[in-house]
Amino acid sequence: MIDAVLQTLLNGAASGGVYALVALGYTLVFSVLGVINFALGALFSLGGYVTYLLMGGRISANGALPGWGLPLGLPFTPALLLAALLTGLASLLVERLAFAPLRRRGAEPLLYLITSLGAGLVLVNLLQMLMGAEGYAFPATALAGLPDALQVAGARIRSVQVLLLAVCTAAVIALTLWLERSRSGRALKAVAEDATTARLLGIDSEAMLRLAFLLSGALAGLGGGLIGVSISLPGPYMGIGYGLKGLAVLVLGGLGSVPGAIAGGLLMGLAEALVPADASGWRDALAFAILFLVLLLRPRGLLGRRQVEKV
Amino acid sequence: MSAAHGIGAGAGPAATPLLELQGLVVRYGAVTAVRGLDLQVRPGELVTLLGANGAGKTTTLRAISSLVPVAAGRVLWQGVERTGCRTETTVRLGIGHCPEGRRVLSRQSVAANLELGAWLRRDRDGIAADRERCYTLFPRLAERRHQLAGTLSGGEQQMLAIARALMGRPTLLLLDEPSLGLAPKLVAEVMATLAELHRGGLTMLLVEQNAAAALEIADRGVVLESGAVQLEGPAATLRADAALRDSYLGAG
Repeated sequence: MIDAVLQTLLNGAASGGVYALVALGYTLVFSVLGVINFALGALFSLGGYVTYLLMGGRISANGALPGWGLPLGLPFTPALLLAALLTGLASLLVERLAFAPLRRRGAEPLLYLITSLGAGLVLVNLLQMLMGAEGYAFPATALAGLPDALQVAGARIRSVQVLLLAVCTAAVIALTLWLERSRSGRALKAVAEDATTARLLGIDSEAMLRLAFLLSGALAGLGGGLIGVSISLPGPYMGIGYGLKGLAVLVLGGLGSVPGAIAGGLLMGLAEALVPADASGWRDALAFAILFLVLLLRPRGLLGRRQVEKV
Repeated sequence: MSAAHGIGAGAGPAATPLLELQGLVVRYGAVTAVRGLDLQVRPGELVTLLGANGAGKTTTLRAISSLVPVAAGRVLWQGVERTGCRTETTVRLGIGHCPEGRRVLSRQSVAANLELGAWLRRDRDGIAADRERCYTLFPRLAERRHQLAGTLSGGEQQMLAIARALMGRPTLLLLDEPSLGLAPKLVAEVMATLAELHRGGLTMLLVEQNAAAALEIADRGVVLESGAVQLEGPAATLRADAALRDSYLGAG
């Protein structure tokens, strides 16, 4: 019994951690630019596939290059970190192609939603062209060093969920410390609060915006790699679902709030974990029911500020 | 009107102006906010830019910092044309800008605001020394250094905004209505601080609605009307000018 309870809580916290990563990805860009980057879900998929390839995974028969694989097989940790970095760079490319041209023309914020959604679809379809539409499982040896289960307080729990939660926690803590303590993190917060004043201090707001996109993409890539290794890669559209869930978490926690994104992610993950396995079809319904209820009671989200504010 | 006092730029009136605006024109859509403004600020001078609301004072400062595009005319910095350079470049050149409405970063601490004021500098020791100098100049900021800037009073926020601009170690400090919304006692305090900075050799261009207070500490005054110079001269002369007193000083 205690096994089941502990495992359920851990599962919830672990998927909640991934939702929080995605929500923080949205938050970073939203706080600086005031718009949602709808390509984030596609970047999540990309992170999963890049992690797979970096670990030596091969392309299936339906892919563009059947049987091809990278001539390297990195262990999970370096593969995950490198995939996060590469996804961050892809996010920079999304900024360059889908955001920068509009920004230079001073376009309506609504248009960014369309162009970023378009960029996301292009990315997902590229993945499908290259990798095929079917799912991929990471090799059983992906986490070779890790025992299958851990004994905690007399209960057996799956260790991959512990890994997931640990990586998410570390990423969230690192991001928070960076924002609060480092010079560049504070500069990003300054741009988020008041871009004009930040420029008057000599802060290059364009560079900070690119940094926000880089980090945001890296968080999504991290999430994709983690889900890939703990569950599998169900197909190029995997990230779209997580992207939507992250969006719900973003609104649930309060648009633009870092603690809100974290709290919202955990709440969503735990609530889903409480849905019994034989009713798992109701998971998404429950998630959005919670969102609906919270917004009825607190239109600003759990930790949202009075007006729409940022980081 | 005078030359540099004390440290800093030791140049006389004959030297190249630090900042020169030639025929500056700024438009917001169909509205022309500044129409053919000529202005010089020489090293060590404290020049005050006066005028009614909408006369183009703030726009002039925003054009100097490249926050708004210049439609025509030139901005020269130490004799070199810098019209339309990036805002970051103006800061790098030595133009500090303390904006209208203070604009402190309300969700960061006083200390973090000061640190961001020194964003382009890399001299740790110099930054630390300047921070202490700011705390000496504004002891109330030192007491509140760990507080969020948003929790400060209006007067304290103004002091923080000035201190933050000083942290960039500017050669020229642009100040946009530092007295706005402050109680008379605080206005006097802010003006006294600016006078002290001026005595230390800092060159300043001060935009003010409170003409009386500004002319008290300035070397020279320039009165704008509808985006062009209406009147200019030594501060002492302007203080004695009856017409000016009637149109602007009465209210101040």
